[in-house]
This record gives sequence, C-alpha cells and structure tokens, in this order.
Amino acid sequence: MHGNHRLIRVRWLWRLAVLGTATFGALAVPTWAPAGQSGPGTASGMAQPVAVAAQTGPRIEITKHKFSRPTLTVPAGTTVTWLNRDEDVHTVVSTTQAFRSAGLETDEAYSYTFTKPGVYEYFCTLHPLMTGKVIVK
Amino acid sequence: MNDDSTYARDADSPEVSGGDGVDRRGFLQCMAWAGTGLVWTVTGGVLSSRALSPASAAEPARDFSFVQISDTHIGFKGEANKDALGTFEQAIARIKALDPAPSFIIHTGDITHAQKPGAFDTVTEALKGTKAERVFYIPGENDVFADGGTEYLGRFGGPKGTGWQSFDYKGVHFVGLINVLNFKAGGLGSLGQAQLDWLKKDVEGLASSTPLVVFAHVPLWAVYPKWGWVTDDGEQALGYLKRFGSVTVLNGHIHQIMQKVEGNISFYTALSTAFPQPAPGVGEGPGPVKVPAEQLRSVLGLRDVNYVQGKSRLAIVDSTLA
Repeated sequence: MHGNHRLIRVRWLWRLAVLGTATFGALAVPTWAPAGQSGPGTASGMAQPVAVAAQTGPRIEITKHKFSRPTLTVPAGTTVTWLNRDEDVHTVVSTTQAFRSAGLETDEAYSYTFTKPGVYEYFCTLHPLMTGKVIVK
Repeated sequence: MNDDSTYARDADSPEVSGGDGVDRRGFLQCMAWAGTGLVWTVTGGVLSSRALSPASAAEPARDFSFVQISDTHIGFKGEANKDALGTFEQAIARIKALDPAPSFIIHTGDITHAQKPGAFDTVTEALKGTKAERVFYIPGENDVFADGGTEYLGRFGGPKGTGWQSFDYKGVHFVGLINVLNFKAGGLGSLGQAQLDWLKKDVEGLASSTPLVVFAHVPLWAVYPKWGWVTDDGEQALGYLKRFGSVTVLNGHIHQIMQKVEGNISFYTALSTAFPQPAPGVGEGPGPVKVPAEQLRSVLGLRDVNYVQGKSRLAIVDSTLA
C-alpha cells in the first residue's frame, strides 16, 4: 500500500548477504520487486536486479534530519538508495509524486530507479525542511 | 518574539535559559512568585513524584483539572527508550492515580511513532481506562504522514472529518488545532486558510473575559524555526486570540518543557512519554536523545492543568515519570 516492497530492513539484508549468493538471490527477488507505482517515469514493471544495483548504486544517508547528499547527479538507469540512520521516522517523497517511500524507521532503506532524465526534488513528509534533489542526466 | 531569555526549559539540560545568568530553576521560581497568579511547578529531577500524587489538603481549591499527555510515539523502539510502551503505561498509571480524577484528557499528538497497525488502539484503549470523562486528540505528523491523515481523521476527525474542534467546559473555551497536515517541501507546520477561517468564526462570538485554552501539536509560536519548531501561520491564529484576557496554549512536538508569556497569552510545550529531544539548536538537529538509563524517566512526563475561576491563568503542573 505504501510501497512496502521497497522498504528494506538493512540489518536483515546484511545478514542475508553473508548467507551466500544463491540464498540471497532467491530471497531477494520478491523482497526487492518494484512496487506497483503508477504514473510516467516510475520504475513500475521494470525488470531490474535491484538488490545488486542498490548496493552498488549511490546511497544517501539520513542523519540528524539531513540528507547526506542533498544534491546528487546520476545517469539514467541508476538506482538510488536512501538509508535512515535516525531514530526518527523519515520519508523520501517526490514533490511531483514520482516516487514515495513508506515511513522509514531506523536502519530501513528505500530504493528508486531513475529511468528518465530530469530533476527530481524530494522531501520528508514528516520534516518538510528536509529536502533534496536527484539530477538524472 | 523569539527571545530566548523568556523561555523556561526542562531540567537535565546544561543550557541556561538565556544570557542573563538566570538558570532554568531560578527563572521558574521567579515566574512562580512574580505575582501573576501563575503557579508553575516543574518537577524535573527534583520534586517529581509529588505533583501527580493524590491532592493534599494544602492544595488550593480548583474548579476542574485536565491532563495533557503528548508524544506517546507508540511503536518507538529506538535506543533513546527501549521500553516506550512501558513508560507510556507508567504515565497512564499516574493519570489513574490522580485524585480527584481529571475531567478530561488532551493528547497533543504523535500518538503513534510510525502509524503502525494497532498503535492508535493502544493509546485509545489505555486512556479509556482512566476515570476521565472524555479524551480529546489532535494529531502529530507521525500520526498522519503515511496516508495524509485518512486513518487519523477517520477515527478522530469528528462529524465533519476536519479534526479541528472546540468545546466549552465550565466556562472555559477549548480549541484544538491541526498544524501537521499538507506539509510542503521546504515548508513548516501550518494551519491553513480553512482552519484559520474556522477559528476566527469559532471565537468571534465569545466575550473577551472567556478563558481560552488552545492546543495543537507543533508549537504555535516560534520556538526554533530552523528545526521546524514553529507554525508558519501561527501568528495569524494568535491574532484572533489577543483580545482575550486569558489564553493558554498547549503544544507538544519538541518533547521538553518550555514556557513563554506574551501579553495575555501563555505558551507551554510538554514532555513526551517516549523520549526526550535536544534543547533548541543544541547539537546537529532534532530527534530522540539517549540519556543514561537512570535519568530517562526524569525527562519524560505529563501535565496536570488546574483551572480556578477568577484566576487569570491556569495552574500548570508538570510531572516527570521519575
């Protein structure tokens, strides 16, 4: 309902990762399947190895109500992962509703694959002074 | 408006209330004896268990009392409090032990931490178990962020579904305002024009001698705008209240006690039952603060508010869980 497929408990994921590639891959597919988001420019329906991409793609950490990389420039096709390091709940929500995370609690992450060039501004819907943008070239 | 020296803050913080050399406790004592009719007892770390114990014969008569509970954050599991449910239940036990029982309870929001299933029920069921006649809720951002307020307003929104509300009790007019909906990127808590129009109408027929109590989650005055501890159209709302002789504004959100008096308007922020937050501007940003385990209960608490007819201000008694 709130894009839960994209909500990853990072501690759990790391634990999985040490179990080996085969196990990880088998479990990771349903966990990381893209949420059924609607509208143009979303990753809906894309077959993507999100787990791998998310770990190798850029990561934005949330600490003390700040995004570690408030402006990030990436090529199209990049999956960006936001990781909440705060004990507060945060969200990552596009100002145009292009993407929207669920509430991220401590050590929970959200990933989104940017398929189309553009400037994607986003903010936390609990703490709206927290803003950032991803520039997709 | 944003003069730090007018603030009184909660205990256990190394900060003083301003650059005037008056520390927090000294300031509170000043306030208590300033002859304003204000009785202010902060029990943080000092007189903690006394305030919410059964009333003694020495206490002044009161017409009625109510409790403000705030920022219960049901579902919080962070390092700042590994047992936020336990401290919430302790606060409930304190309310149940009040004698006389409060007439009603006001919850000033962040009822839940992340709007998880069952979290609202935990609070509503627990508060039903007190002897209070009614419980009034107002949301915090943690109660509405996941669905834009659909669940909250469905439960607590009232017949019109707006969630803002007013009621009269023994000659006092109470107003509950919502300032956590429709956050915009880069913006602040706001009431919005529809609510402001409603408020203006709600109070315009009242005599200026009517005591007012206004409650909302995010402070209606500028506590610390850099951290979003302000309501951007709060001034407009307060403008409608300035003609009244006694206005008490009760907020939550910042998980610490602060007070400010401006004309006839007294502002108070409340403790959380779940975790403390830093003093404004102290550290890199807001958020849960971990204190030594033995100190945790001295920075959590709730508030008992007593009204005595003829007194210009309500008696505010903050009590920690220590």
